[in-house]
Amino acid sequence: MSTEDRQLSKFNGLANDYGADLFRYAMWICGNEALARDLVQETYLRAWKAIDSLKDDKAAKSWLITILRREYARTFERKVPKFTDVDTVVVPEDSELEPDDRAEGQLLRQGIMKLAPKYREPLMLQVVLGYSCQEIAAELDISKSAVMTQLFRAREQLKDSLQKDGVTGNVHGLY
Amino acid sequence: MSMDFTEFKRRLGAEPRSRDPALLAARDSSAEHREAVIRAETLEEKLELAASLPVPPDLLENIHSIAGPQQVKRRSWWPVAMAASILMAIGAAGIGWNMSSRGWESVEAYVMDHYRHDGDKVLALARQGDDADVHAMLARFDLDAMPELADIVSLIKYCPTPEGKGIHMILDTRDGPVTVIYMPDIHVKDQEMLAFDAMEALLVDLEHGSAVIIGANSQHIRNYYTVVHDSIVPIPGRS
Repeated sequence: MSTEDRQLSKFNGLANDYGADLFRYAMWICGNEALARDLVQETYLRAWKAIDSLKDDKAAKSWLITILRREYARTFERKVPKFTDVDTVVVPEDSELEPDDRAEGQLLRQGIMKLAPKYREPLMLQVVLGYSCQEIAAELDISKSAVMTQLFRAREQLKDSLQKDGVTGNVHGLY
Repeated sequence: MSMDFTEFKRRLGAEPRSRDPALLAARDSSAEHREAVIRAETLEEKLELAASLPVPPDLLENIHSIAGPQQVKRRSWWPVAMAASILMAIGAAGIGWNMSSRGWESVEAYVMDHYRHDGDKVLALARQGDDADVHAMLARFDLDAMPELADIVSLIKYCPTPEGKGIHMILDTRDGPVTVIYMPDIHVKDQEMLAFDAMEALLVDLEHGSAVIIGANSQHIRNYYTVVHDSIVPIPGRS
């Protein structure tokens, strides 16, 4: 296999393995679909240009996330993006879910968007991307203990917001 | 010694999927611990479901297309295809832009490649009436659109260009939709015409980059040269 074939194969693998989750993560940190698409596209543009610098495939996810977070930070340097109202984070209703479950899902999504970024970001790194506390600590450059506190508080706030919204049914049993 | 329940709840709340032996060992230490585990697992399942937002169906295709031109270039038929295509530059002079690191040989190659990949799909999206936040998107390039242009944009999205991110927009005109692609940091020979497949394209050199207007009718796209040339303007005070 030629060098170019290997580069292309590696890039396509990165797209298939992480593209969807990177988009979801981008959505949760910026709340805007157009910007999330842009962030993911820019991330992969930069990844493609620097594909040779990725020596360890196991580090690929972290590498991509770091690129995406830097690109997002650059977005803020230029202009604070307009955040989409949480109600417009559209998820097609899953016909397999019961109405109560759909309502819970929508409330949870609204709750996630209402979390302060310092809670939302580590939570989404864990839930969407499967990061461990140690990996989150390395990515966010904070201590593992701080990460654990933020994750715990994020979940507590989500439970509080669900309770405040008076959700009954299964979620009621969370407390 | 069993883990204190308060500490157990804190660790469970921080990392419900943890396989840490100490946490696992504490799970069955009391009914209270077991109930906490069940509640945490229930929340986690719902959280994972809620966080799994739908992904645009064309996302992966767009990502793969980033490496597409290199793939085409790698195959030796690219120059042949270029020569054999209907693509032609009307005008003797070449276009004032060098080969980019992305692998497109020229602006013509980029325009043809990008439009063939995305042109029809974006036109179809425009017909669905997507929102067009023209000012916000152009502001990312320190640009704005005058009303003559902003008022007729029916869809706008980011797109890859030879020098990085650009903008792909659809104008809703009296004679039908017209595609405009803004290419930052690239300069072209102003008003040069290109043709490929059944499409005509008009290059527009701008102070801060360039644009290409693409449509099925050359006269029709020429009618929008002034609109595009004069209406994509730098935001005062921005570099």
